[in-house]
Amino acid sequence: MNIVVCVKQVPDTSEVKLDKKTNTIIREGVESIINPYDSYALEEGVRLKEKLGGKVSLLSMGIPAVKGMLKEAMAAGADEAFLLSDRRFAGADSLATAYSLYLGVKKIKAYDLIICGKQAIDGDTAQVGPSLAQKLGIPHVSYVISILEASPKKLKVKRLVDDAYEIIEVELPALITVEKGINIPRFPSIEGFFRSEAEEVTIWGADDVKADMKHIGLEGSATWVLRTFAPSYEKSVNMIGGSPKEQAREAIAALVDAGFIESGREGE
Amino acid sequence: MSNDIIRYDIEEYVEYMRDESRIMGKADSISFPKNEAELKRVLEKLAESKEAITIQGARTGLTGGAVPMQGHVINLSNMNGITGLRYDGDKDCYFLRVEPGVLLSEVNTAISKLEFDTSAWSAESLEALKLLKASKSRFFSPDPTETSATIGGMISCNASGAKSFKYGATRNHIESLRIVLADGDTISLKRGRERIDGGILRLTTQGGREICEKLDVYNMPHVKNASGYYLESDMDAVDLFVGSEGTLGITVEAEIKLIPKPGCIYGVMAFFPDQEKAIDFVESAKALESKPAAIEFFNCMALELIRANMYRGHLPDIQRVDPVYHTGIYAELHATDEDAGKGMLKALSALIEGCGGNLAEAWLSISKHDMERLKEFRHAVPEFVNSIIDERRKGEPTLTKLGTDMAVPNGFLRTVMRMYDEGIQNAGLESVIFGHIGDNHLHVNILPRNMGEYDTGKKLYGEWAQAVAEMGGTVSAEHGIGKFKVAMLRKMYSQAALDSMMKIKKIFDPDNRLNRGNLFG
Amino acid sequence: MAKILVFDEKCVGCGKCINVCPFNAITLENKKAVIGDACVMCGACERNCPFGAIKIERMQGYEQDISLYKGVWVFAEQRGGETAGVAFELLGAARKLADRLGESVAAVLIGDVVSEQAKELIAYGADVVYVIEGNDYENFSDELYADACIKLIEGHKPSIFLLGATAYGRSLAPRISSSLETGLTADCTVLEIDRESGMFVQTRPAFGGNIMASIVCPARRPQMATVRPRVMKKPEPDFGRIGSIVKFAPVIEMSPKAKLLERIQEESFGVSLADAEVIVAAGRGISDQKNLALVEELARLLNGAVGASRPIVDEGWIDHSHQVGQTGRTVAPKLYIAAGISGAVQHVAGMSSADFIVAINRDKDAPIFKIANVGIVGDAAEIIRELIAQLKSS
Repeated sequence: MNIVVCVKQVPDTSEVKLDKKTNTIIREGVESIINPYDSYALEEGVRLKEKLGGKVSLLSMGIPAVKGMLKEAMAAGADEAFLLSDRRFAGADSLATAYSLYLGVKKIKAYDLIICGKQAIDGDTAQVGPSLAQKLGIPHVSYVISILEASPKKLKVKRLVDDAYEIIEVELPALITVEKGINIPRFPSIEGFFRSEAEEVTIWGADDVKADMKHIGLEGSATWVLRTFAPSYEKSVNMIGGSPKEQAREAIAALVDAGFIESGREGE
Repeated sequence: MSNDIIRYDIEEYVEYMRDESRIMGKADSISFPKNEAELKRVLEKLAESKEAITIQGARTGLTGGAVPMQGHVINLSNMNGITGLRYDGDKDCYFLRVEPGVLLSEVNTAISKLEFDTSAWSAESLEALKLLKASKSRFFSPDPTETSATIGGMISCNASGAKSFKYGATRNHIESLRIVLADGDTISLKRGRERIDGGILRLTTQGGREICEKLDVYNMPHVKNASGYYLESDMDAVDLFVGSEGTLGITVEAEIKLIPKPGCIYGVMAFFPDQEKAIDFVESAKALESKPAAIEFFNCMALELIRANMYRGHLPDIQRVDPVYHTGIYAELHATDEDAGKGMLKALSALIEGCGGNLAEAWLSISKHDMERLKEFRHAVPEFVNSIIDERRKGEPTLTKLGTDMAVPNGFLRTVMRMYDEGIQNAGLESVIFGHIGDNHLHVNILPRNMGEYDTGKKLYGEWAQAVAEMGGTVSAEHGIGKFKVAMLRKMYSQAALDSMMKIKKIFDPDNRLNRGNLFG
Repeated sequence: MAKILVFDEKCVGCGKCINVCPFNAITLENKKAVIGDACVMCGACERNCPFGAIKIERMQGYEQDISLYKGVWVFAEQRGGETAGVAFELLGAARKLADRLGESVAAVLIGDVVSEQAKELIAYGADVVYVIEGNDYENFSDELYADACIKLIEGHKPSIFLLGATAYGRSLAPRISSSLETGLTADCTVLEIDRESGMFVQTRPAFGGNIMASIVCPARRPQMATVRPRVMKKPEPDFGRIGSIVKFAPVIEMSPKAKLLERIQEESFGVSLADAEVIVAAGRGISDQKNLALVEELARLLNGAVGASRPIVDEGWIDHSHQVGQTGRTVAPKLYIAAGISGAVQHVAGMSSADFIVAINRDKDAPIFKIANVGIVGDAAEIIRELIAQLKSS
């Protein structure tokens, strides 16, 4: 099975901070990591390859430094890596990103399954996967938590929607987005590391993939950021002191006042 | 009552009557001084009654060091500021000044992000911070598993962790200490300044008392050690107080050393089909020119434990490792840059293969995220042991785990491991063995299923302590003696040595008020 | 590349373009408008110039006459004859937007037999309900629903299309927007029409909740957005409202390649977090997995659901389905008790719209106290024990 796994390098959003003066994100000193959902996607792809044979190709869009992340991913079992890197790809929203990835997939040419992480932890939109599927004219299944059966022609998967699980059968070629909990990503092995050292990441510019410049980067984006600002919550908190008994008593009193508990319940 | 600095409503402070040894103690009163002045006020109030005082940090100790048996408890959690930074040009070292109640995790975060509350810092400290920000990354290397421990606690028991194999324990990283004695007097000790020379201790307290005493120097085991006072005939006085388990004085300020962070760090988890081969690998790794910064051991039962409890959380998946590779060794490589790191990795890989390990099954962590995952994997063993004991305690409330903390000199590793394995097998007990094999320091955790097994295990433990002492090893390599290993200390040292330690105690705490019960019983 | 031109002979220097430019990209030099680097060619100046002095030359084949697009549409998600609550909430939001724009509100209803539900949608504010009915549409299908919506939109050209950010909505919307080459903004918390430029501004959290971003889609239509349930207020229905129901039967050539085989309602989902009016949530500060029993008991006493922050889900203390936060569920209960939760932005992004927040944490500087109504500095397990004891005793 030829599997394409889309991976993105993102800042570790548990570490980023807001610059209160410019209302933009401070990325300096924040580590760049593989988007966690994409590491589940990679692991799932490698497992399918181990079961059915074939190869796993990584596809990413980003700055040249993303090569490092892709090499590490190869040490964990991917066979080859393609990086779409060109200043003209920059500033892309999810529409332009989906188009660029679509070009990458078309250049890879042979694929049976595309695996994406559910969402990127910086954009949080969860849009690129389904958008890419639409552009490729293939079906997609989102929020997959388990691949139940796999064959070169179709997949049977279990996915998590708001309040239920669904079992879905999808014909290949198809795209799936994977949810946290589908697997535990493996570590690179030492053997994989030395093997990946010998491999090169293939870098493609906009011309290499015959991009239509109107549709990539800032130019190809349909949405733009008007402004960014710090989340603010207008609340002034009432801090309750005293011993735990006293604190609990006052808290209950506050809840009675706010109407969450019926009054007539006095602690002592 | 609670507005007064000494709190007598002790029933509100039940959780402060114990530490991680889980044994309950008792006390009459407790205080949480915010600074040195308040601490001295507390001591003044207690001066007349001369009652016993137990000093506490975060109470993460395992041997009852912070458990009070009577009297007053001084908890230092509120003395938790990082108060300054100093750059020593001669030593090309940065020293961070901290109060005893700061947590190790807070220190680590502050240093890695270079973010400090500098509102009360001196101009000199601010200058040093500017310098630090412009220079290479630094870090504080002592890495005990429990990062919620306080620096004061780490100083008390000379804490160490995996990286202490290369960088040494806490003692190696203390530059100066400011100590308040039971009578309220203060001592300032700086490395290189206050000394013991030819066995003679010379120092002057802030109150003007001149101390000049000839100490009886005894032999300490030639191993990683946290038992008894650290004493050599020629040494810096500050080293005597590190590892003294709060029995000599109360640390109110310390300067900790920050060392350069390696440019490249790799974590390797290799699995072997044979315990002997795994030990071969460890010994050859130690002999490498660029040896690992840490070498940790997981016996087959430890790995089985993780395998069986995998469903909990998101640990790296050991179930995918072929079970024929049942013994694990973790090695951490610290190099100046990536090329050097790759060279170290190549050398280590050759050893792994030579000892029957499989490079396709050997894990490599490169990113910070993967290093964290691997750390969690390693810490999972003691955590799972604790959960299992907690489960068993439901049926048998007096059950606890039996954990050893013994280390032996080089050349005795295989002997002691054979002794552990045979002892456990003959007694038919459930156990796991893991630890800092680079320092010949292994933790044997016996998991008794009933009180009968507990008693058998305890007896075995005593026999091992005797054997280890005879080998010239230590019964407490990193946890300290506290209150519950006092008997073990007596196995390790001669009566003369113990008398010498008592003499030192009498110099600084003649009324035996501080942490009564620790070390001496 | 597209170009923007100012015709000096037409420009009188009135400065109206400067006022309406949302990117502060225009200045006046020698009484003529000059467009700077910050310009992203949103077209607000072109539209608002009384003298026609500004023209944007767009690239061939990418132009869209956005003036042809009118109407604020809502995707009325439904399953098994029941319309999702978020659809009503979106109709309320759509009504406000449409009133500002002077346009009408429509709902798109897809399913097996759904005409009855259409009447309800009119009561909640739809002027028109487009009904796409048929056995093929019985179960949700990304491909089928997307194809139908695309054809409907191409025919009727709405200016705005809103969908609930439910599992289905977030999966369906991007297929539609991608095919129509238009913009889609996910998980919006605020939807409004900008006073000066008249643009539709969509605001949402990004970077794990660390920052809020206001987004516009100036040149493409329809402007699409998804909104999470319980973020917008459900309006009061007026069953006397008049509206029309229009049946639409798109010709679908393809046959969906993804098929639903089975749907499994999990018991462990219990009191659904999404619907709960009271949530008691636990974080690392409860110290031990055992103490979850206390959290559960408190939730039971208050008739609430149990939530969790990410760290304890990662530790395996509780299942992922209870996770509240940027990568978990977004909730909007009336009462949220955060026990031992520090209040990291990722968590807050998932629960900040709770009406009343009680926070318990050992650390007096924990960020959770910034968004709480009532704060208690203390040991979470201990406080919960006290709360349970006192609630039980009365």
